[in-house]
Amino acid sequence: MMDELELLKKDWQKKEGQLPKLSYDQIYRMIWKKSSSIVKWIFYISIAEFLFWIALSFIPTNTDELQGEGAAFLRGLENVLEVASYLVIIYFIYKFYQNYRKISTTDSARDLMKKIIRVRKTVMLYVWFNLALFAISMIVVLLEVLILDPPQALTEKISAADSNIVAWLLVGLFFMATILFFGLILGLFYRLIYGILLKRLNLNYRELKKLEI
Amino acid sequence: MSKSTDQALNKDLEHKFVTELENNQNIVHKVCSLYTNDRESHNDLFQEITIQLWKAYPKFRGDAKFSTWMYRVALNTAITLYRKSKKRIKTQDYESVIFKIKANEYDDTEERQLKLMYDAVKQLGDIDKALVFLYLEDKNYTEISETLGISEVNARVKMNRVKNKLRTILNP
Repeated sequence: MMDELELLKKDWQKKEGQLPKLSYDQIYRMIWKKSSSIVKWIFYISIAEFLFWIALSFIPTNTDELQGEGAAFLRGLENVLEVASYLVIIYFIYKFYQNYRKISTTDSARDLMKKIIRVRKTVMLYVWFNLALFAISMIVVLLEVLILDPPQALTEKISAADSNIVAWLLVGLFFMATILFFGLILGLFYRLIYGILLKRLNLNYRELKKLEI
Repeated sequence: MSKSTDQALNKDLEHKFVTELENNQNIVHKVCSLYTNDRESHNDLFQEITIQLWKAYPKFRGDAKFSTWMYRVALNTAITLYRKSKKRIKTQDYESVIFKIKANEYDDTEERQLKLMYDAVKQLGDIDKALVFLYLEDKNYTEISETLGISEVNARVKMNRVKNKLRTILNP
């Protein structure tokens, strides 16, 4: 085998003459073209994800109409969640930008891959944070509706069942399932983007990492 | 600094870069021929490597050789940054630029052996290809380990595994 690879090496070096030759002008024109590298894609997709969640936070909620004892508490809770989410957005954008800037093609292959994965991880963490926030907000909104302004049909059904604990449990389970369903759909959506974009990179990175154990 | 001096400096940088790349373009072509299977993808990858080299060029200090620096950026682009399109991966023709085999060129045993070897190398994974490429380019294990970011011992271990893999592909 050794000899064959040596043979290949000689042939490889002999073949230099058959390589294409680009002119100065051809190369000069190339340096002004736009890159379509994976890093560019990750950058754009991450920005899109940030914008998506920021846009979502601007959708108005109509808690102002609610009245009663618990309303003030729930409204307070909503405000806290909103402030928290803005702080987290700022933190994640800062972190994303920091990690993104560290990407350098002059690193070793392993370091480069590690840094790209880290950039994506930041954004994924942000997405998961938002999903969690989304679930909590859903619960808050549902509590608002159930406690402060329950729909009539629902109240009637529950009283028809003698305010049975099972009836309440069923309502609770139904809402939990809804939250879980939306969560899963969104999670799947992001995994898909993450998986397709970084499949090869993750594979290569794992291969290099495996060596070092 | 005034705007016109800035522009003059940029022009100077452009000229230096393009000249250096023109003189060392073989390295990039060889990487492209290993990692792509047709002329169109070859040019695509060459284009992307050129962009990445140009982007990294202002930070190139000149304490390393231009060609040494190029190996790293070119391989990184091929292994990590370049996005192959699905359509092109499927086409299983090994008609890449360097491996173009003319019918009568590979008729004796040695030549047939070579063709088989080239085909086998093309079937390797991205990292393995990089190892073989650096080996064929006569790089030592220190350089190989630094380019890939693994220890020298592990580079040797990996290289042995690649050789075994090639052997299996050649003698199934």
